[in-house]
Amino acid sequence: MTVPAEGTLQRVATFVATLGIGVAVYIAIAEADGGSPVCLAGGGGCETVAKSSHSELAGASVAVIGIVGYALLLGAALLRGDAGRMAGFGLSLVGFGFSLYLTFLELFVIDAICQWCVASAILMTVLFAINTARMLRYVGTEP
Amino acid sequence: MSAKKEQEKRREERLQAEEGAEGRERRQRMIKLASATAFLAIAVVLVLIVISQSQTDGGDTDLEGTAEVSAALKGIDQRDLVLGASTAKVTLVEFGDLQCPACKSFAESVVSQVIDSKVRSGEAKIEFRSYTILGEESVVAGAAAIAAGRQGRGWDFVELFYRNQGFEHSGYVTDDFLTEIARGAGVPDLKQWNADRKSKRVLDQVLRTASEAEELGFGSTPSFAVEGPATDGLEPLDFPESAGSLEEAIAQASG
Repeated sequence: MTVPAEGTLQRVATFVATLGIGVAVYIAIAEADGGSPVCLAGGGGCETVAKSSHSELAGASVAVIGIVGYALLLGAALLRGDAGRMAGFGLSLVGFGFSLYLTFLELFVIDAICQWCVASAILMTVLFAINTARMLRYVGTEP
Repeated sequence: MSAKKEQEKRREERLQAEEGAEGRERRQRMIKLASATAFLAIAVVLVLIVISQSQTDGGDTDLEGTAEVSAALKGIDQRDLVLGASTAKVTLVEFGDLQCPACKSFAESVVSQVIDSKVRSGEAKIEFRSYTILGEESVVAGAAAIAAGRQGRGWDFVELFYRNQGFEHSGYVTDDFLTEIARGAGVPDLKQWNADRKSKRVLDQVLRTASEAEELGFGSTPSFAVEGPATDGLEPLDFPESAGSLEEAIAQASG
């Protein structure tokens, strides 16, 4: 399979990470003061997820953790060379794994789906695919 | 050929050249490092999952019915422990004990119907009062419901408590359990809720309700009373056989 040029992968990863920051910032703002994001397709899924105990991790909002994660991924996308490739791969693997866990919680524990969380999980999956391709194809080569 | 394409072609050629012995060795080293990175990343995910699980395993308090309660009350005004429009002419008062199994059953099969038929339409509002007949744990639970009501989440708290009710006097009404219910009910300021539920004022309010219930002639839960344009103040009702009995009482009280 042909892997796009590394610059192209970096540009797409930059764009996707920026979108991710946007989604996570929206969720964090909506959840501030006990609110919840608006589910565009209706239903109370976003409210239920936002108010569940799983919307926090060790006292920190999962949305805020998401903002930090996407910001780090944005930094990795802009970083050239093996440092950027490794950081992007490692961070996106953490993000992808944690998104899988959160999606499992929505489906089987909280019993509600938040579209914004699904959007974030999709963006994280795309970032994982891009960063894996970047790492496998270009690691060990000169930028 | 454009300059960009030419640049990419040159880069491809360079990459192929680097596939020599030295390049291969370097890439192998880096792939090993990537494997270690993947291992570390998976370990980080596992740690995050353990932290997430540990914060809900404290009191075996994974909540049932959060989505159902949220959907059932969505769009209905509530303040303190009153559910429904403030302009509703009739008020149905439920004297209930959060630990009482019959109250739970009534909440799920009777009161829910009245909410749909009379409260949502604005015809009546319904007030929950903690008539604590099952001891100290019920007082603590009742105070927690009042404190949630102060933040506009009283009915979410009551309904969610019922859906997660344990066996009475079994000791399940712990701080962890109540906090989990409050969080599931969407109480926005848990610190304030904690301060309110432990305050003398709120605890006194729970104890006063017992006197009110006894003055109305009640001795068990759930008991109901109604007040409206056609009643002489708050009038006690006979034990309702069904949602229809309460709906009829509301209709009569509205005149």
